[in-house]
Amino acid sequence: MKEEKDELAKLREENEQLKRMNQVKSDWISIAAHQLRTTLSAVKWILKMLLDRDFGEITQEQNDFVKKAFASTERMVLLVNEMLSLNHTEDATLNFIFEPHDLTELVEETIFDFTGESHGKGIEIVFLKPDALPPAFPFDKEKIRVVLQNIIENALKYSDRGDKIFVAERIQEGKIEVVVRDTGIGIPDGEQQNIFSKFFRATNAKAKDEIGSGLGLYVTKFIVEKHGGTIGFESKGSEGTTFTFALPTSRT
Amino acid sequence: MKKILIVEDDAFLQGLSAKKLSKEGYSIITASDTPEGLKALEENPDIVLLDLVLPGGDGYMILAALRAKESMKDTPVIIFSNLAEDKDIKKARDLGATDFMIKSNFTLDELAEKVKELIG
Repeated sequence: MKEEKDELAKLREENEQLKRMNQVKSDWISIAAHQLRTTLSAVKWILKMLLDRDFGEITQEQNDFVKKAFASTERMVLLVNEMLSLNHTEDATLNFIFEPHDLTELVEETIFDFTGESHGKGIEIVFLKPDALPPAFPFDKEKIRVVLQNIIENALKYSDRGDKIFVAERIQEGKIEVVVRDTGIGIPDGEQQNIFSKFFRATNAKAKDEIGSGLGLYVTKFIVEKHGGTIGFESKGSEGTTFTFALPTSRT
Repeated sequence: MKKILIVEDDAFLQGLSAKKLSKEGYSIITASDTPEGLKALEENPDIVLLDLVLPGGDGYMILAALRAKESMKDTPVIIFSNLAEDKDIKKARDLGATDFMIKSNFTLDELAEKVKELIG
């Protein structure tokens, strides 16, 4: 009996220590990100001012190089932002707000937000709206928005001009499924088991030279599972990828 | 000429912002810490670009003082910071900030455009 108590006290203490360590880590990431952003701002602003000829005329060759440097800086800014967002997502483990929302509306909103990007890339996003609209059910709207954004953004990144992306919503027994199908580069067979791991990026994704931190799908899975949902994908060779996630319609 | 107050402790970023905005035809007042920022409010700028992390206090103190001033209660204030946790943005909005821009997400031409949109 006493041993059990000692064991429990020990576990509690270890748990407290882990929480403290996680807090230190989070604070450190916040501070580092703030410092990185300040340094990056200086570089980014100067490069843009050079491109805008605020410091006078530059040659075509100089312009091309500065443009490349500016693009690299933009990537770094994006990575810092993603790092912060992951930090927040992990911090926010206990801060999910489950309230009834209309998932169809959220899907439409999210697709609408990508209009500019998809037009620019010449890719059409088609939403196959369900005939019978699902009723509102409790989920964390902002976090599921991140899930939809990550999956659709991936589909856009790894598709080619002229391709179509299909988004569908399906009502199932006790759950609602969202399916995002693209005809992009697919996920190589040997790498499929790693796709949800932190910092993992598929070799063909890296080769396509798209910006990515390898955090998007990790965060996506984390959020879906916090809802008691499931996420998976199918990808055959280079025929594209279909991501499906399902959310339970009632919270138990 | 419309007057812009830039409150920014990083001398380099302050210099760049001042250069870009004066090129756009604005008159610039700068302040590098909280007391200087508070003092500069006496000049009744038409818009304020406000950093949050500042020596001798912080941007929130300046924002609160500015909103308490009758002549500046409607003056546009753009928070221009790299500190951008949800709680920072909420606090700034609650204190009456007009807009919140994360420095590294914008360039100075975009900032100039924003200023133009707000004060012409």
